Amino acid sequence: MSIFRCGVKAILFAAFVILAHPAGAQSTASGDHVRVRWLAPDTFAQGNAETIGFYFEVDPGWHVYWRNAGDSGAAPRFDIRAVDAEVGDIQWPFPVRLPIEHLTNLGYEGDVTYLFALTPKAGAERVALDVNLEWLVCKVDCIPGFGTMQLSRPVAQQANWNGTDRALRDRFQARVPGPQEQSPWRAVEMVEAGAGQLRLAIEPTGEGGAVVPQVFPVDGELLAAAEPRVESAQGRVDYTFTRVPGAPLPTAADFVISDGQRAWLLDAIPVGAAAQQWRALWLLLLAAFAGGMILNLMPCVFPVLSIKLFGLMGPGATTSSRVGEGLRYSAGVLATFAGLGAMLLLLRAGGAAVGWGFQLQSAPVVLLLILLFWLMGLSFSGVFEFGHRLMNMAGRSHGGSFATGVLAVFVAAPCTGPFMGAALGAAVTLPAAQAMAIFLALGAGLAAPFLLLCASPAVLNRLPAPGPWMEKLRQLLAFPLYATVIWLLWVLGRILGESGWLIGALLLLAVVFALWLGKSFGRGARVAAYMLVAVATAAVFGALRTPPPVAPQSADRGWHSYDKLAIEQALAQNRPVFIDYTAAWCITCQVNKKLVLESASVMDLFRANDVLLIRADWTTQDAEITAALSALGRNSVPVYAWYAPGAREPELLPQILQERMIAALFTESAKFQYNEDEKP
Amino acid sequence: MNGKRLPIHRLIRKILLPFLAAPALALAAAIPGEPAPAFSEVDAEGKSHSLEDYKGQWLVIEWFNKDCPYVRKHYGSGNMQALQKKYTGQDVNWLTVISSAKGKQGYLEPAQAMAVAASHSLNTSAPFLLDSDGSMGRAYGAKTTPHMFVINPEGKVVYAGAIDDNDSANPAVIPQSNNYVSAALDASLSGQAVAVASSRAYGCSVKY
Repeated sequence: MSIFRCGVKAILFAAFVILAHPAGAQSTASGDHVRVRWLAPDTFAQGNAETIGFYFEVDPGWHVYWRNAGDSGAAPRFDIRAVDAEVGDIQWPFPVRLPIEHLTNLGYEGDVTYLFALTPKAGAERVALDVNLEWLVCKVDCIPGFGTMQLSRPVAQQANWNGTDRALRDRFQARVPGPQEQSPWRAVEMVEAGAGQLRLAIEPTGEGGAVVPQVFPVDGELLAAAEPRVESAQGRVDYTFTRVPGAPLPTAADFVISDGQRAWLLDAIPVGAAAQQWRALWLLLLAAFAGGMILNLMPCVFPVLSIKLFGLMGPGATTSSRVGEGLRYSAGVLATFAGLGAMLLLLRAGGAAVGWGFQLQSAPVVLLLILLFWLMGLSFSGVFEFGHRLMNMAGRSHGGSFATGVLAVFVAAPCTGPFMGAALGAAVTLPAAQAMAIFLALGAGLAAPFLLLCASPAVLNRLPAPGPWMEKLRQLLAFPLYATVIWLLWVLGRILGESGWLIGALLLLAVVFALWLGKSFGRGARVAAYMLVAVATAAVFGALRTPPPVAPQSADRGWHSYDKLAIEQALAQNRPVFIDYTAAWCITCQVNKKLVLESASVMDLFRANDVLLIRADWTTQDAEITAALSALGRNSVPVYAWYAPGAREPELLPQILQERMIAALFTESAKFQYNEDEKP
Repeated sequence: MNGKRLPIHRLIRKILLPFLAAPALALAAAIPGEPAPAFSEVDAEGKSHSLEDYKGQWLVIEWFNKDCPYVRKHYGSGNMQALQKKYTGQDVNWLTVISSAKGKQGYLEPAQAMAVAASHSLNTSAPFLLDSDGSMGRAYGAKTTPHMFVINPEGKVVYAGAIDDNDSANPAVIPQSNNYVSAALDASLSGQAVAVASSRAYGCSVKY
């Protein structure tokens, strides 16, 4: 075999000596779709390093690869033997991501030059190189190429280049990653982000341009080549990479970062210093606390708490009793958060895919809430004496304040507000103890304002003195509660289909009728009323067992229901995709939908840019959508995911949308497109 | 208070039940240390194979595309067949899967697959598994041909990745390459831990 190969080599060599090259060396190599030639000076300068390279001319649509080729493919190999010269390592111009079906490769579109430094040895009159090359060129199919190339050049006083070749060399040399010190971005931290993910955070070293740089992992054994998920805020940019399944966590990793013109090497970025993780947790806790405080202002929570507060302002209440109430209320809130959190963690440990707000994905819970809000609304309106008494009781008894706390958490669930999404999302991926800390921080945030009011007579005294106006205000506050009932009935309708409305409304009717019975007649009627409510409730909860109808909503005014395959196809065709992760029980989602996403101007923008609009409806439990959310590091709605044309990883939009944010997506993607076209 | 407690109990039961019934979330990949994804595919002879069938036995799964230069590297040199022969001789099962979709490179009808199995002197436990809808390939996260997986008798993945550590397409490098699959099999068959349980699979993309 080897004799045969030597023979072939000898014959080929002889052929080249005779036919191809007067100098007796082969200065080019070629294969299917690829031609390789030297970019080197005619003479080298004595003792001076010169950067030279292999210039690959590649047919349009075909690709050769970077040092980390990505999910498939292979980097070219250069086996260089040098005579009278020192040669350095191959220098790789920064790549682009090449999505091929569901895979991502890292390589080059069009021509590229792989460079290296050559230094003639002292006193050498001539340097010579003998190179074995191997490369892989792919479009969808791949073709390996092999070749040998020689270079022999005299050494002179100075390097002497052909102008065109030198310009070509310079163009690619400018794309070789520079040292970390010169990079306009620096790595802030790199931490494990949930199962199988690694998050790199960078920030600008100086002013920082408007560009969000591209980041490429150098080691393909460690991180997948697919575009990382990018989240940027106040100059800091987080890149969440997927790890190669089963690869052990390294102590450090290298990345190449590029602004599209130049690139820099971020080398040996250490993974996960504990202090930094603690800082991240600390920030998450703060966000959770702030999110909890904001929850107090949400329309579902506010009426409940205001009334409770008025109960505490009565003449009999002393500061110490109020503090007691405040503490019991806080205990109720924290216990409920702890309970829900524990349940969520247990379910998570059991492998179930659930997320925050999951309690509202169950029809019986929604129905219970409807009943609760209906009774509270009626009692606020003064229709319902018993409720009045219950409320008075709630104002004094111990259980009352605790129950108010429990109630506040349950009614707050639909109102995922600002700051909460990131904290809750993290809670699902963090270890149990830290996740629980986040739930409790949310609870503390929710409880804090009320506790503060209770504990501080100074603040409480600033509120207007109790009087007849309180009665009027309570009646007024009944209306948000009725509104909540209507909305929850609609949610029930979304969960159960058409019958949801009917079932819910009938129960409400039965309750009102029973109230009237109990109020208007004697003791016997009251018993009958209780029985009526009991029977109605039993009947209704029984009716809930009917399996929810499968409602295939193929397209609702341009919005398609969640379909993983359709999304993958659109991404493969570089079509932009906008995914609205939503739920009927999520008020924030509904507001965004009505005011922004379905407004005429935004819909026009989506249509004009041929965006695939996906509505991932999480109203009922859906394992696929839960999985998609958790892949985004979230487990609550709303989440808005935007895939720019050609992007493989989404950009996540804020939880409170504005029209200009959507408009900005298209101006940015237009800019991006322009940069892409600029590539040489 | 008693009146309040009852609905909460009921409520928890009502919430818990539907979720416990919800299927466990499965990631679409075979990950070393985790249970192997289930599969059920028909081979070129029409016989069906599922993960269940190989419970209690060692199993190697290999992705194949006859037109891929990297597959040719290992079949043209006889390297892959030698591995297959060596380990099927030690009661290890070996399944070779074609996930090319109809109309894509490497797709084979059953009769063609039988012919290719013969011309390639395949030494596997069954002729090619024909996964033309890509379901098995996607379940395993098979990216390239060849992409190799080793599954132990407990049904857990012990190795996932490339066949060896040299991603050259040149068969001449095989003797100097470090074969990850045989290293993983030799170690785990003798009850030792696998040194390299995961690597970047090299080769051509699977033509789903």
